[in-house]
Amino acid sequence: MLRHLLRTVNLFDTAKCALFLCIFGSCHGSSGGASRAPGLIYYETYDPRSLDPALSTDVPTGEMVTLLFDGLTAFDPDGRLLPGLSDRWTADRTAQHYVFHLRSGVSFHDGRPLVAADVKRSLLRVLNPETHGGRVWPLLPIAGAQDFADGRARDVRGIQVLGDTAIAFTLSEPLAVFPKFLAMPVAAIAPSPVAAEFGQHPVGTGPWRFVAWEHDDYLRFARNPDYWGGAPLSDSLTVRIIPEPLTRIAEFLAGRVSVSEIPFGETAKWEQEHPDWLKRKPALRAVYVPLNNRRGPLRDPRVRQAINHAVDVPEILRTVWNGRGVLAAGAIPPTLGGSDPGRRPYAYDTSEARRLLRAAGYPNGFAVQLWRSGTNVEMGRVAQAIQAQLGAVGIRVEIVSRDASSMREAVRKGDTDMAITDWWADYPDADNFLYPLFHSASFGPGGNYSFYSDRLTDSLIVLARRTADQSARETLYRRIDARIFEAAPWIYLWFPVDLWAQHPGIDGWDVPVIFNGQRWTKVRVK
Amino acid sequence: MIQLVGRRLLSTIPTLFGVLVVAFLLLNVVPGDPVAEMVGERADSATIVRLRSELHLDEPLLSQFGHYLWGVVRGDLGRSYITQRPVLGDLFERFPKTLQLAGGAMLLAVTCGITLGVLAAIRPGGWIDRFSMLIAYVGISFPVYWVGLLLILLFAVALQWLPPSGYGGLAFLVLPALTLGTRSIAFLARMTRGAMLEILPADFVRTARAKGVAEPRVFGRHALRNALLPIITVLGLDVGNYLTGSILTETIFSWPGVGRYVLLAIEKRDLPAVQGSILFLSVIFVLVNLLTDILYAKADPRVAYD
Repeated sequence: MLRHLLRTVNLFDTAKCALFLCIFGSCHGSSGGASRAPGLIYYETYDPRSLDPALSTDVPTGEMVTLLFDGLTAFDPDGRLLPGLSDRWTADRTAQHYVFHLRSGVSFHDGRPLVAADVKRSLLRVLNPETHGGRVWPLLPIAGAQDFADGRARDVRGIQVLGDTAIAFTLSEPLAVFPKFLAMPVAAIAPSPVAAEFGQHPVGTGPWRFVAWEHDDYLRFARNPDYWGGAPLSDSLTVRIIPEPLTRIAEFLAGRVSVSEIPFGETAKWEQEHPDWLKRKPALRAVYVPLNNRRGPLRDPRVRQAINHAVDVPEILRTVWNGRGVLAAGAIPPTLGGSDPGRRPYAYDTSEARRLLRAAGYPNGFAVQLWRSGTNVEMGRVAQAIQAQLGAVGIRVEIVSRDASSMREAVRKGDTDMAITDWWADYPDADNFLYPLFHSASFGPGGNYSFYSDRLTDSLIVLARRTADQSARETLYRRIDARIFEAAPWIYLWFPVDLWAQHPGIDGWDVPVIFNGQRWTKVRVK
Repeated sequence: MIQLVGRRLLSTIPTLFGVLVVAFLLLNVVPGDPVAEMVGERADSATIVRLRSELHLDEPLLSQFGHYLWGVVRGDLGRSYITQRPVLGDLFERFPKTLQLAGGAMLLAVTCGITLGVLAAIRPGGWIDRFSMLIAYVGISFPVYWVGLLLILLFAVALQWLPPSGYGGLAFLVLPALTLGTRSIAFLARMTRGAMLEILPADFVRTARAKGVAEPRVFGRHALRNALLPIITVLGLDVGNYLTGSILTETIFSWPGVGRYVLLAIEKRDLPAVQGSILFLSVIFVLVNLLTDILYAKADPRVAYD
């Protein structure tokens, strides 16, 4: 018996030894991989929808379109607005009438020169119902765009071509952030007329020309030597499709991918072993739990505040999320104008939470459901932590796990009490964290998953959109954010900090705060 | 034989129709909205309503199904909602790659599995037997996902003998084929061993030995050939496993095959792509079953179809 036991223990040791050797080998392997120069290789987690700007409704498509095409404006990796195909633009004082002047001497990859009529036709193509693109909202502020998109008009009266070199937009109401809308991939400029199967064989003005696309495998791009913004430093760029995060890390260690996001479970290991390879940047993204402001006890702001007090967010951030985030004291990320660095997050205070619950008439708590997406493991862990902590103040949380699509549908219909989710910026502006998330016109599919509705907030958000003066606008945003924060329509969690590894064989790469902020022009193989 | 094939092919039509009905109904019962997946994280309600009507999603189920069925009859599986590409073209592009993977896995399964099984049967209880059954035991118990990641860690990261993932030459095929084939190797080894042990005490084996046939020939020609029927059955059924198992394997190894296509289509509620893939895979499965039946007759002349 004893001998048998000893043998088992030995076996255990052998297994441990083997595992250790594996890990040791992997570290050794990584430094071996580091010496290789891999060429520029990026990755997406799934195949893009298409390479047609009009179809760019998801991140992979948007990122690929950004490599091939230009918009009138663009973002840099830090989310600053830059001139794109338009090198200067003017707005009238009301921010309702814009004129964009085109950069001279720009041609498409097939040699056709860019003219203002291309801009108009590109935008009309996006709005055209026959395109079936699905993302028209960035262009709907243009006067007459809604009628055109609904098939009620044959032209968009708010877009005027001024000769070959300028284009004027008249908006249906003032909108100060409109130039940022035009930097989104969907507003990128395609040549006209576009060829058949344009999404498979795109032609743009961007820094990279299309070479090949093997679906679910890789996309290949070659440098556009005539790029107006300076040709890319490398000859080619490959984008592989790698769905599994751990495989991606293996590819990175083998020197077959140039940059990689670090999966959560691996944070400590990488910080210890390869601190010099790591790059981090606060992302324009919010992790939060929308509390359905129209359901049951959650209708009462005191209950929502109590929930915020009952959750120990710093602890969850530190343990579950590896500390990769900045605590949220509002919905506007701290890197954006309009956020208030002086505002404090809800303090973790269970007695205050109990007091608020008593005041709201729920001294014994109540039962709610918290929805989570089954495929997102980290979010699931956060949900469990929230469940445990709310249980301590008497709120009985049942976690409902569904696949992402089912959960999204339920949340958008308002059929959930609470759901753990995140919000990625489309454009780097506080407006993108207020209008879609809290305006009552954005209920459900528009982004307002908490169904928060407040007439004053609505009018202030619209007022801010109409305010051309940047500092006045930011003052308004601070006020709006503070007002909403007080009403606690969410459990305010954190703004993630992205953690990436850059292969030592390349330089010039930077983590983009927004998905279309990295165009790989300044990256080169050492 | 030709008559048999013709009859069997005809009888698959109701099966495939049933598959279509079930797939269609299931997809319409599960929550999740294809249009919501098309438009992304933020959309205006007017666009959603318009897209629903353009895709005929607001029509009654029966008429939607009619549209689809009419397309299928004409050999048109429709276009993906998400990518707007024809589903059939997408499948034809990916299927050869899945076939390559399944072929590799099957080759490994047949060579390793049967060899292990036969070796184990030579001396039941001997160390080869114990070793092969340990491998079989481990192979059946380990989840595909875990095996795949371990293989990557060992052969691609630590030893750097093979690329971690991707599609390309033979080097890219080894790890995914091994991952996909592991369960099959294990299962086949056990099946072969069992079948061989049943056959070996039979009279004709004794006769063969008595008339002086060499031992390898006794095993290879007399015993194994008679043990083949259950092995063929398992192999035929395994093809189904290869097609579904390829979803996991293709995801881990970034292999651009049908499995990943189906997975993404389900995640995105891309109805034409999911229905098309299910129909396509069903056809393959039915054909493989037919092939299995024909192989029965080839392997064992006693099996006759009239």
